[in-house]
Amino acid sequence: TDGQEEVNIPPESVQDKVFFIFNNLSLANMDQKSGELLDCVSDDYLPWVSQYLVMKRASIEHNFHTLYAHFIDHLKKDEIMTIVVKETFRNIKVLLSSDKGVANFSDRSLLKNLGHWLGMLTLARNKPILQLDIDLKSLVYEAYQKGSQELLYVVPFVAKVVESCAKSKVFKPYNPWTMAIMNVLAELHQEPDLKLNLKFEIEVLCKTLNLEVNDLTASNYLKDKSRLETLECQLSASTKVKESPSTPQPE
Amino acid sequence: EINLMDELTLKGVTQYYAFVQERQKVHCLNTLFSKLQINQSIIFCNSTQRVELLAKKITELGYSCFYIHARMNQQHRNRVFHDFRQGLCRNLVCSDLFTRGIDIQAVNVVINFDFPKHAETYLHRIGRSGRYGHLGVAINLITYEDRFSLHRIESELGTEIKPIPKIIDKALYVAEYG
Repeated sequence: TDGQEEVNIPPESVQDKVFFIFNNLSLANMDQKSGELLDCVSDDYLPWVSQYLVMKRASIEHNFHTLYAHFIDHLKKDEIMTIVVKETFRNIKVLLSSDKGVANFSDRSLLKNLGHWLGMLTLARNKPILQLDIDLKSLVYEAYQKGSQELLYVVPFVAKVVESCAKSKVFKPYNPWTMAIMNVLAELHQEPDLKLNLKFEIEVLCKTLNLEVNDLTASNYLKDKSRLETLECQLSASTKVKESPSTPQPE
Repeated sequence: EINLMDELTLKGVTQYYAFVQERQKVHCLNTLFSKLQINQSIIFCNSTQRVELLAKKITELGYSCFYIHARMNQQHRNRVFHDFRQGLCRNLVCSDLFTRGIDIQAVNVVINFDFPKHAETYLHRIGRSGRYGHLGVAINLITYEDRFSLHRIESELGTEIKPIPKIIDKALYVAEYG
C-alpha cells in the first residue's frame, strides 16, 4: 500500500501545539520540549506525529536531521522510532515510484533528504537496511537499465543513505554489504557518458568513506542483462526498460 | 553570510501584513508560530531595548531564540550570528544592524515585529540577494500608526504587501513544496 497511511488526526489545538514545538526545538531545550510533546499528544496520535516529522520536517529540513533524531531518542518511546523508520521507507517508496519523465527537482531533493535521514536512523546506528524494505544495489541496477533520468534520482539518494556507513562500526568499509554497493557504484563511475554531477556524487561518497574510487573492484553487475528477468521493480512501472540497440534480438 | 552585493531583491519573497494593536503583537507571534512551518526565522524590532524585551518575553513563552543588536560588542555579535547559522537556535530577534541584507538559506520566515520607517530598512530586512533567491515569507505586524509607512514603503519599492490569509500556502516559503 503506497497511499497515505490512515492515521488518527488530532484536533487543531493539539496540532498547533505540535507545530509550535517543532518550530522551537533546539539542542538546548530538548528535555523540556520532549516533555511538552508527550504531555499534549496521547499515544493514539503518535503515528500522526511520526508522519508529520518525516513528511514535513525531515524530508525538507535536512539541516536539522541530527536534532530531530536526538529528539526521537529523548522521547524514550521505542515505538516512535519504529513508526518513524517505517514511515520513512513508505515515503521513499512513493517518491521512487513517482513519474520521472519531467525533471522534478523537488522530488529529487526530498529523496536525497530522506536518504540521509534513513541512513542516520539505521546504518549509522548499526541497524541494517533490509532488502525487504529497500534493495539499494538492485535499485542502482534498475535505474541504470532504465536510463539517465532514473539515475539522477537514484544515485544521489543511494549515496546519501550509504554516507552514514562512515559513522557505523558495523557498516564502515570493508563491510561486505557496503562494499558490494560501492563496487557497483565504481562500475557506474567508469561509464564514459555518466553525468558529471553523478560522478562527483560517487567521488564525494568515496571520500566520506575513506575509499579511493580506483581501488574499488568495479563489478560487472550493471551490464548483466540476465538479471532483468528476475528484477523486482522499485522505480515507476511506467518507464520501460530501454532496449539496447547493440544487443541483437533473437529472431 | 552578510551580503555585500548592492542588488537586493524581493523576488521570491511573499509579503503579508497583519493589522494589530501593540498589545496584541506577542499573541500574534504565538499564532504564527503555531501555524507556520518555520525552519529558522528572524524577527525584527525597531530598537535595541525592544529587542531585549521581546527576546526575554518569548523565551519565557518557550521559544528557541537568540538576540543580537547594535549595542552588543562585535565579538559577541559574531558569536551569536555564527551559532544561529549553525542552527543552535531556531529564531533570532534583532535590530537593524545588518546593513546589507542577510542570506541564510535556512531562514524561510522573516517577521517585522515592528514595522520600519524607511523603505531602505525594509529592503535590507526582507530582501535577499538575487543570486540565491530562496523562497521565503515576510510578515509585517502593522499598527494604526504604521499605516502610512506601509503604503509609502509599498509604493517606493514598487511591491505588494497583502493582508495575511487564513492559511498560507507552503509552496510559497517551504522550498521543496515548489
